[in-house]
Amino acid sequence: MSVFSEYKKNMMGAAHNDRIRLALSRGIASYRSNVNTALEKFPHSVQLAEEVLQIKAQSIIDMEKLAQQACESIESNKGKAYIAKTAEDALELIGKLTGTDKLIVKAKSMTSEEIHVREYLEEKGNEVYETDLGEFIIQKLNSSPMHILSPAIHVPKEDVAELFSNITGEKLPPDDIGKMVETARKLLREKYFEADIGMSGANVVSADTGTLFLIENEGNINLATGAPPIHIALVGMEKLVPTLSDAFKVAEVTWRYANYTIPSYVSLISGPSKTGDIEKVITYGAHGPKEFHVIFLDDGRTELAKNPVLRQALYCLRCGGCLYECPVFAVTAGKFGDKYFTGVGAVWAAIISESIEKAASIAYSCLMCGRCKERCPMEIDVPSMMIELKKYLVEGEDNTAAE
Amino acid sequence: MSKKLIPPGLTYLANNIVLNDNIIGSRKKDGAKWAKNLKFSPNTETVFFAGCGYQYSSELETLMSLIRSIDKSPINTEITMNLAIFQRKLGLDLGGVYRKVMTRGGEADAQPLISAVKVLKKIGIDLGYLGEDEPCCGGLLYYIGMQKEFNSHAKDVHSRLKAKGVKEIISLVPSCTFTLKSLVPKGAGSDDNIKVRHFCEVVNESLDSLKPRLPQKVKVTYHDPCQLSRSLGLIDEPRRILSAIENVELVEPTWTKGKFSTCCGGGGGFEAVFPELSHTLAVNRARELTETEPDIIVTHCPGCIMQIEGGLKELGVKNVQVLDLAQVVGMALEV
Repeated sequence: MSVFSEYKKNMMGAAHNDRIRLALSRGIASYRSNVNTALEKFPHSVQLAEEVLQIKAQSIIDMEKLAQQACESIESNKGKAYIAKTAEDALELIGKLTGTDKLIVKAKSMTSEEIHVREYLEEKGNEVYETDLGEFIIQKLNSSPMHILSPAIHVPKEDVAELFSNITGEKLPPDDIGKMVETARKLLREKYFEADIGMSGANVVSADTGTLFLIENEGNINLATGAPPIHIALVGMEKLVPTLSDAFKVAEVTWRYANYTIPSYVSLISGPSKTGDIEKVITYGAHGPKEFHVIFLDDGRTELAKNPVLRQALYCLRCGGCLYECPVFAVTAGKFGDKYFTGVGAVWAAIISESIEKAASIAYSCLMCGRCKERCPMEIDVPSMMIELKKYLVEGEDNTAAE
Repeated sequence: MSKKLIPPGLTYLANNIVLNDNIIGSRKKDGAKWAKNLKFSPNTETVFFAGCGYQYSSELETLMSLIRSIDKSPINTEITMNLAIFQRKLGLDLGGVYRKVMTRGGEADAQPLISAVKVLKKIGIDLGYLGEDEPCCGGLLYYIGMQKEFNSHAKDVHSRLKAKGVKEIISLVPSCTFTLKSLVPKGAGSDDNIKVRHFCEVVNESLDSLKPRLPQKVKVTYHDPCQLSRSLGLIDEPRRILSAIENVELVEPTWTKGKFSTCCGGGGGFEAVFPELSHTLAVNRARELTETEPDIIVTHCPGCIMQIEGGLKELGVKNVQVLDLAQVVGMALEV
């Protein structure tokens, strides 16, 4: 079967699944109402988004320089920082830092999904726990995420109850979501403190201070990055901005368009845990991690940044708003895409995926209706990117606007 | 990197543009037939641009329902589409075959064109029409990544229009309008631009002098075609026109309107690649629109009309009509 036929078959499989559509239609309705409430309560968000767009546009041009600067900042904070050119480089580095036979707790990270960090670590003989509830469900179902913020958006509560019942051996009622959350809490609680290593991504990173911003509601990122003795963060290079105050702006716009007035937690992490409380002697590894490693992943990003149209994909804050506006996504969920979804996902697929046919399949399943652009705080012009990408796919690199 | 990456349904339509100068692969003179009872000015300084959508809509509809049924059957669409190209290479006029076998007259489908022309004439525009010589805008080539073909097509379109002395185009199909207005000049590499306006812009400007009126009260909802609202930015104009018609009550979905309007599922050639899914999206959009409980769903695009009608049929809604804004204006002006 050709790549396109297989892709189309998967799309249609999802389209024929009424439960996915039901789950999504509820998700879409609640997203729209929540994002409206959030924007009404904090009306400055719209103007702030315009400012952030300028910050991102310049940061993408300066990405390599910012990565260097961030590495220096992190090193001066006594952390370790690395730039990985390819996915393989990043995995090798992670492999070296973790070793084997380790217990690893992971916060949800699309970048780690992108290069299959969990699978790699498991192959190396490590025990890996996804700690984000949605991601934990996906891991236990042996499935793949269908939404960048709500990975298990396509799984109805009844299925979660059954899954957890199988894991614990205790029958869970099919509609008691509170009980399900409690079960996950119990299952994961000890792991944070037993873990050798905690892994995370980051929503935005300020180059001048080397500070990682991590936005969350569950508290799992706090625990996964705070409790184990080693913290390793894998961050896409597109997450870099020049200053701490830029990063605050990016973070606020990200959660606002992800439909939150304010998230429960935002962690700012710039280095390993330390104390000077005994005779002012700085000692590392007080209550938090003794070691802090940050890997900035390129994996095609600097190449993508050279194309003035496709570069917009790197502006994406991963707020997920566009997905709720996509009429195709509403029916097929994450099957419209690969590791990243919908039209923007096609650009990512062309850059990070080994299969150009896959990128083409995703690009040709975009309606180019442009509603995502209306929602996007970064005004990412998906229809224009699709036209540019198709041109590149059909006619080759020589004709891209970058030349 | 090759045309092999383009899904076959799209290459089929693209080939039609390149070989037959229309999206459906029909003979050109069949397209222009709708206008045979209309009187046009011999002056072609300002011309009406009909576009493929309505001129060939009966064929398009038939072809699409055929593609849809093939898509649902165990036979793979890709194979069928390749077969279609192969058949044509043997000299079979598929458009013609489908038309003869499966369609009604075809002129009924061109009603929006006839209404638009009558309205424009009532406004007092000295309107010409190129008939068989009207070129296909070729927009699809651009949207599916065949830029080289589009650019050479655009040069041809531009020079053909220039040769006819065209200075201004008034166009009805949103995607043709956008293509002629923005893409053709860019593709042709010409600064000598022809002015392009959409029908609703022209009507909107003359609205005060028109006094449109429908004989009885109707509840109307409006569906924004993506190209009209989000590409051309014509969101207020159709609403102003509808609101100016006496006896029209405009009712709209709370969220999915204007710049946040939902695509009918026919965008970007999607219906030729994912016909079944496209139909599902049409049903979803039809549902959103019928929730406003309208008597008429008004839109402004042949693709949207075809999609929404298909959606209503699937939902079993029989008492709601789908009309182009040009038809409604035509009725309201009794032209």
